Amino acid sequence: MGIVIAVISGKGGVGKTTATANLGLGIAMNDKKCVVVDFDIGQRNLDMILGLENRVVYDMVQVMEGEANLKQALIKSKVNENLHFLAASQTKDKSVLDSKKVQKLVSDLKEQFDFVILDAPAGIESGYEHTIEFADAAIVVVNPEVSSIRDADRAIGILDSKSHKVKNGEDVAKYLIINRIVADMVESGEMLKSDDILEILNIKLLGKIPEDKGVIDASNQGKPVILDKKSIAGQAYMRISGRLCGQKVDMKNIEVSDSSLFKKIAGIFR
Amino acid sequence: MGASVHSNQYSVKVFETTVYDESKFIEFFDANYTLFKDYLILIQGELSEKIKEYLIQKRLKYLHNIDLPKGRSRKALEKELKVKEVEVAVSQQIAEAELSKLTNKLQNNLTVLDEMIRSGRELNIDGDLLLLNRVNSGATITTSGNLIITKVVDGSIRCHGNFMMLTASPKANIVFQNVEVDNDLLEDRLNRVELKNGEIIITPVLKKEINWAS
Repeated sequence: MGIVIAVISGKGGVGKTTATANLGLGIAMNDKKCVVVDFDIGQRNLDMILGLENRVVYDMVQVMEGEANLKQALIKSKVNENLHFLAASQTKDKSVLDSKKVQKLVSDLKEQFDFVILDAPAGIESGYEHTIEFADAAIVVVNPEVSSIRDADRAIGILDSKSHKVKNGEDVAKYLIINRIVADMVESGEMLKSDDILEILNIKLLGKIPEDKGVIDASNQGKPVILDKKSIAGQAYMRISGRLCGQKVDMKNIEVSDSSLFKKIAGIFR
Repeated sequence: MGASVHSNQYSVKVFETTVYDESKFIEFFDANYTLFKDYLILIQGELSEKIKEYLIQKRLKYLHNIDLPKGRSRKALEKELKVKEVEVAVSQQIAEAELSKLTNKLQNNLTVLDEMIRSGRELNIDGDLLLLNRVNSGATITTSGNLIITKVVDGSIRCHGNFMMLTASPKANIVFQNVEVDNDLLEDRLNRVELKNGEIIITPVLKKEINWAS
């Protein structure tokens, strides 16, 4: 039996889908069987970021409606055979989702994979609620800015009241990824510090990802940035994937810029 | 030169009487002379030459037909005191009843919460609220009673009680008794906010910083 993790953010454009793709691949690289599911019905894009756009034949709505079986709809990644992908429907909208059908799909996937990662749509509408409904855990992706934090806070609040697990008196584990950190801006006080964000959201920190121009190009090319060993964002995703797979990986302080690190070292020899 | 007044004050014992029978009067005064020699005798009504002579001869000081300022009789005084006592007791009873109504309400309707109030949450509390956690941006708390929050408030607060206690919360929107509170006046410790004579008074209550519920 695998674990179901919903990747949520509240606000759009903070890097939720990019995180899903990279963590899915990172988990697969750690030799765990992983499936990533795009729950953004009507506005799918996880297929593009994974470079699997042209291989989608059946989507998850067709599986839920019984028009195709799971085996037909699951797409195996060419990059890593542990990684599988289930596409969202681009033509339907989120009103087709239904609790019972979602539950069946999720539990079927749970039996076949170690990790089931659900990419939630932005916002807090029914599509979001269906994504988190049967999740065992949630990864909250935020940018270090107030609007992202507030929207994430709202999304966590809904998770805590609507999730199936919470309704049964259990806890849904919640982990935070702070994405697109610019060390210089944190140092100058223009960007929120991760300590401040953690104080507001009050959930466990899973990892911090630095701003990296390579991410956009990687997404455009359909090759998740985690494959680029030199990319600082890719390295951060690798560390987070390791933590998700139970390894003890120390938290790297990426909120200190190289220049100030150099100043500190220079200070020692002064 | 200003006129100076030399004065002294005395309390004098007065024996007030009316003469009906001259010989009986003299007989009575003779018998009680040792007592009356220190008294001021006040004769109301008729005063005959015979009695006048007797009083002068006995060197008794006397006044005739004068209305002296008198204290009230003991009975009248007691009666008045009793009325006052009853009034005080009644007003005390009313006050106690009002107070017990209030304290009962406070005790029955106190809500204690130690959970984070996240964005989008609307908390409506009938009565008092003691909150031991933060209020995030986008959350709203409304109380009909008093409100104490021991951690930072980034959201909105609507308090209709007699007082609030808050820590410094520069991002909060605070409305107390329908009046917006200026956050700059909240110091970095617990502050008591109350309404006195139509004015909002903010008093920092703890000199030392304390670490609540950590």
